[in-house]
Amino acid sequence: MMHTLLYIDPGSGSFLVQAIVAAVLGIGYFFKNIRNAIKLFFWRLFHKKQKD
Amino acid sequence: MTSRHPSSYRDPSGFIFTHEGVLYRQINKCFAKNFEIFINSGLHDHLIKEEMLIADSIINENLTGSGDWHLTLKPQLIPFISYSYEWSFDMLKDAALLTLKLAKEAMKFGMLLKDATPLNIQFYKGKPIFIDSLSFEAYDETKPWIAYRQFCETFLAPLALMHYLQTPLQPMLLAYPDGIPLSVAAKLLPWKSKLNLNVNLHVHLQTKIAAKADNTNKSSKEFKFSASKLKNILSSLESSIQYFQLNASSGSWSGYYNEAEQREDYLDEKKAIISQWLSSLQLKTAIDVGANEGFFSKLLNDQNIEVLSADSDHFSINNLYKQIKKEDIENIMPLIIDFANPSPAIGVNNTERNPFLERVNVDLVIALAVIHHLAIGRNIPFAYIATLFKKFGPYLIIEFVPKEDEKIQLMLQHKKDIYNWYTEENFLKEFAAFYHVAASEVIGQSKRKLFLMQANEQAF
Repeated sequence: MMHTLLYIDPGSGSFLVQAIVAAVLGIGYFFKNIRNAIKLFFWRLFHKKQKD
Repeated sequence: MTSRHPSSYRDPSGFIFTHEGVLYRQINKCFAKNFEIFINSGLHDHLIKEEMLIADSIINENLTGSGDWHLTLKPQLIPFISYSYEWSFDMLKDAALLTLKLAKEAMKFGMLLKDATPLNIQFYKGKPIFIDSLSFEAYDETKPWIAYRQFCETFLAPLALMHYLQTPLQPMLLAYPDGIPLSVAAKLLPWKSKLNLNVNLHVHLQTKIAAKADNTNKSSKEFKFSASKLKNILSSLESSIQYFQLNASSGSWSGYYNEAEQREDYLDEKKAIISQWLSSLQLKTAIDVGANEGFFSKLLNDQNIEVLSADSDHFSINNLYKQIKKEDIENIMPLIIDFANPSPAIGVNNTERNPFLERVNVDLVIALAVIHHLAIGRNIPFAYIATLFKKFGPYLIIEFVPKEDEKIQLMLQHKKDIYNWYTEENFLKEFAAFYHVAASEVIGQSKRKLFLMQANEQAF
């Protein structure tokens, strides 16, 4: 294992890692945005009703 | 005379050197284009204005006479250079957050932060500040962050370990000056750290992929990156760092003064004597040995003296840092130092990072209620303690705690009393080889005694 690690320097090996991490985070943030949009929708709805 | 700093060898973009006693940074020809973008994009001025980057002036003179020379920078001098193994948890955390903020700011100006290590950060006027103006390069959106793993190993891994283990781990940073390898951090982190998505991705997943990846088959070109992906990574790192806390508040010395304050006017008396002595001396800098939460460092700060407040107790120093941050105190530099084992020289040729004793050069040493911890707590003879203090500077304010003191009796409850030599007479005799006593006074009703000493000329 150590042998492989030695060949992964910050300049090349972590590129693959970052591609995967960014992909996972992308999905995470995508759903977070949807969740926030839904929250905002209901918040507005609720807020509007209160105003009425 | 010109001499290149021994730690400035990693980056071909330039190096730090001293010329006739003044510190400069040379920018080499190969970095000329990037530095031009750094200046012309406005990022340089923006970061200095926001106090994120140390101010500098450009000097159009080749002081080193080297053929690679492009420009010379004269950065503002930082009075005391410290390393991450001397910082408390919140200091390292703030340094990490500054690094991420710099990476984000750089992107706004079309640049990328290419190094993310605590070595590029120093504490100046109580706040972390970035010191390497050669760490910014033109940003290519299709490429991932070159400093990602470095950030994870030098900032994320130590902070994550301290957070999950709720233990200060500064000695580990000394053992791994280039960052704690993620494979090591992943093994040391408890299982529950995997439940945190950010920690899981940046430490555990990264370790797994790095172990499995066969890099020879895939080139980095296959992984197209984008600015939004990098922003996601930076935001994720930021929220993990923000989440980490080291709150264990009951260090062995935290709250010492709350307890000490209850002792009849002891602190007030002590303060009055020291203030009186200070007013008779013209001092600019000091080191507070065994500073605890900085009660007396603040007294020095009030007199416009710059103080290095050093203590081996992490929680006290972390609390002191939080206080100076809250109250915007500029003259106190909190440091975690074990005076029985101060930071050594490390790195290539053992010259990259200077030992603590070589970095301290102050006018005054104050060592209050600390001698018994070194002499009885750590078995260090008086002469060794005097040698240590004398190296720091010429004046010394020291409190002698007699053996019958309840604190010493408490220490001796669990220890064999092998300290026949611990007497005021011996203390004065051994210190006399290094110092002469300029004044002395008993503190109020206690039997503790304060001494103002000045180093003997021949002792230097």
